[in-house]
Amino acid sequence: MLVVMKPHASEGEVASVVERIRSLGLTAHPIPGAQRVAIGITGNKGGLEPEIFETMPGVQDAIRVSQPFKLVSREVKEEDTVIDVGGVPLGGNTLAIMAGPCSVESREQVLEAAHAVRAAGARFLRGGAYKPRTSPYEFQGLAEEGLELLALAREETGLKVVTEVMDVETLPMVSEYADVLQIGARNMQNTSLLKQLGEIRKPVLLKRGPSATIKEWLMAAEYIVSRGNYQVALCERGIRTFETMTRNTLDLNAVPVLKALTHLPVVVDPSHGIGLRAHVAAMARAGIAAGADGLIIEVHPHPEKALSDGQQSLTPREFEELMRQVRVIAGAVGRAIA
Amino acid sequence: MFVAMKPHASAAEFQAVLEKIRSLGLTPQPITGTERKVVAVIGHVTGLDPDDLFGSMPGVAEALRVSQPFKLVSREVKEEDTVIDVGGVLLGGKAIAVMAGPCSVESKDQILEAAHAVKAAGATFLRGGAFKPRTSPYEFQGLREEGLKLLALAREATGLKVVTEVKDTETLEMVAEYADVLQIGARNMQNYSLLEKVGAVDKPILLKRGLSATLKEWLMAAEYIVSKGNFQVALCERGIRTFETMTRNTLDINAVPVLKALTHLPVVVDPSHGIGLRPHVPAIARAGVAAGADGLIIEVHPHPEKALSDGHQSLTPGEFEELMRQVRVIAGAIGRPVGA
Repeated sequence: MLVVMKPHASEGEVASVVERIRSLGLTAHPIPGAQRVAIGITGNKGGLEPEIFETMPGVQDAIRVSQPFKLVSREVKEEDTVIDVGGVPLGGNTLAIMAGPCSVESREQVLEAAHAVRAAGARFLRGGAYKPRTSPYEFQGLAEEGLELLALAREETGLKVVTEVMDVETLPMVSEYADVLQIGARNMQNTSLLKQLGEIRKPVLLKRGPSATIKEWLMAAEYIVSRGNYQVALCERGIRTFETMTRNTLDLNAVPVLKALTHLPVVVDPSHGIGLRAHVAAMARAGIAAGADGLIIEVHPHPEKALSDGQQSLTPREFEELMRQVRVIAGAVGRAIA
Repeated sequence: MFVAMKPHASAAEFQAVLEKIRSLGLTPQPITGTERKVVAVIGHVTGLDPDDLFGSMPGVAEALRVSQPFKLVSREVKEEDTVIDVGGVLLGGKAIAVMAGPCSVESKDQILEAAHAVKAAGATFLRGGAFKPRTSPYEFQGLREEGLKLLALAREATGLKVVTEVKDTETLEMVAEYADVLQIGARNMQNYSLLEKVGAVDKPILLKRGLSATLKEWLMAAEYIVSKGNFQVALCERGIRTFETMTRNTLDINAVPVLKALTHLPVVVDPSHGIGLRPHVPAIARAGVAAGADGLIIEVHPHPEKALSDGHQSLTPGEFEELMRQVRVIAGAIGRPVGA
């Protein structure tokens, strides 16, 4: 259920509603909005009547939320969530561009990549230090050394660092270095990890599971938000289908559907979504045209030597050209690029 | 296997190559619409060495094996984009072709109202089904020949070219008499008897992707048509079957750049079936054009709430007009005009 306060409801009136919710053994989630405060209620097993709140001072309305996801839904919060990542917005009218190598491999590699993507217009540096590789025999990442190199690249370029956290054990260490914590596709329903992320106050980029429905994905986001961390962005990275010519099938249908259902920012990953370097730019353009709030793109100074994902990584030059194309499409849909 | 001639090869030199192919018990299939003369060699070519057979013949530039299982539709055989001339209106090439209209032809008033509206908004093709392959046998199956006559009437009234589905070999002749473009529906993509028959008619074909067809299977289906001599084929991505249930299908936009690299045939996107939700059709139409599609096919109904089929995904004329405005902006951004 959602309790919507009147535009000029006092702090005391909001506090009494929160108090009332707690007294019923339920959890209150006050959500500040541009016009008014709303208070989400979770823990309701049914039987809660809106009238309990409707008569309280300062309350405009108490409504049932029809979707199984509550706090992430537009029913509960109409305004787009804009995450402030140390001064750089993720969400809102400005497109967030994240780029960099699949894995951090060396000091030279990540610095070269960071400078190149910065010059082309990215504001976030992506790079994995902990890598969930399909094969246990493949490069697993540089671990903390990789995180240190990402921090160094941030210092040199001012880019914000997006990097994956794979488990609860390494979460404190990764959050010490990262500006945005990425949850990989394979961990989308690692609910233990999701709960921990809900407890910290760091932006999270939640990738879609390879065979997760949109509803399951929003429920995963709800796990994080319901613990109090509202700084969640969703990342469509392609789903598993019968098609084998592309690595995944980028589900761009998800973009307008999500933008209608949730207030969270939606980022598109064309690199994993198609998995073929030659076609990443076309899919990046398509993602922006469909209404995505950002892009995350693999760029490697020397893709042919990459320890992972070389076949889908762009060269810095190709990325520069992609950015040129994306700017044109962004302009056409009235969006800016930082 | 294919043989490409030198730019100034003589007609006699080309004839000699055709003779040589026939003498091997194979069929020469000249490719049209290319700058240089190219002939594909059809038949059992395994074990034959192209260069040995044709490399030293006068006027021959090169003779190569086609690495893909699809041959005539591949860019290896024909580098230039195929542009289909539909009675003066182009399908393929730089301009984006827009096809719009109701799912089914329902009445004279309905089809004329839809046709005038989509024409006014900038469409150059009118879509509309007279023979409908509905999932349930109890649902409206289309007006059949009466529907085709109404489509012809709408063409006369507006100048729009008619795109309509042909469901079987029995009605092919009748549908071809009225249609400007024959649509092969998703459920018939691998109806090989029908594909062979439309390969023998001189009419443009819009081949929709099967619900669970891979890109390779789809291109092989196109090859069925082209190998019978009908090179006027366009492909239409209309969404595939996945585990997602919130949308009717999952529009596979990945297919657009992949196809544009693999084949010279025009690629059309159907956002109406691809997402199946009226409010989201424009977003996904924009995405298709941004990905490089050569055309769009969109369901528009004067009164979607009264439609006998697909009302939930049909746009009103007003919504279609707004979609066209958005599509023009995206097309302009990548240097492509809309309509021709």
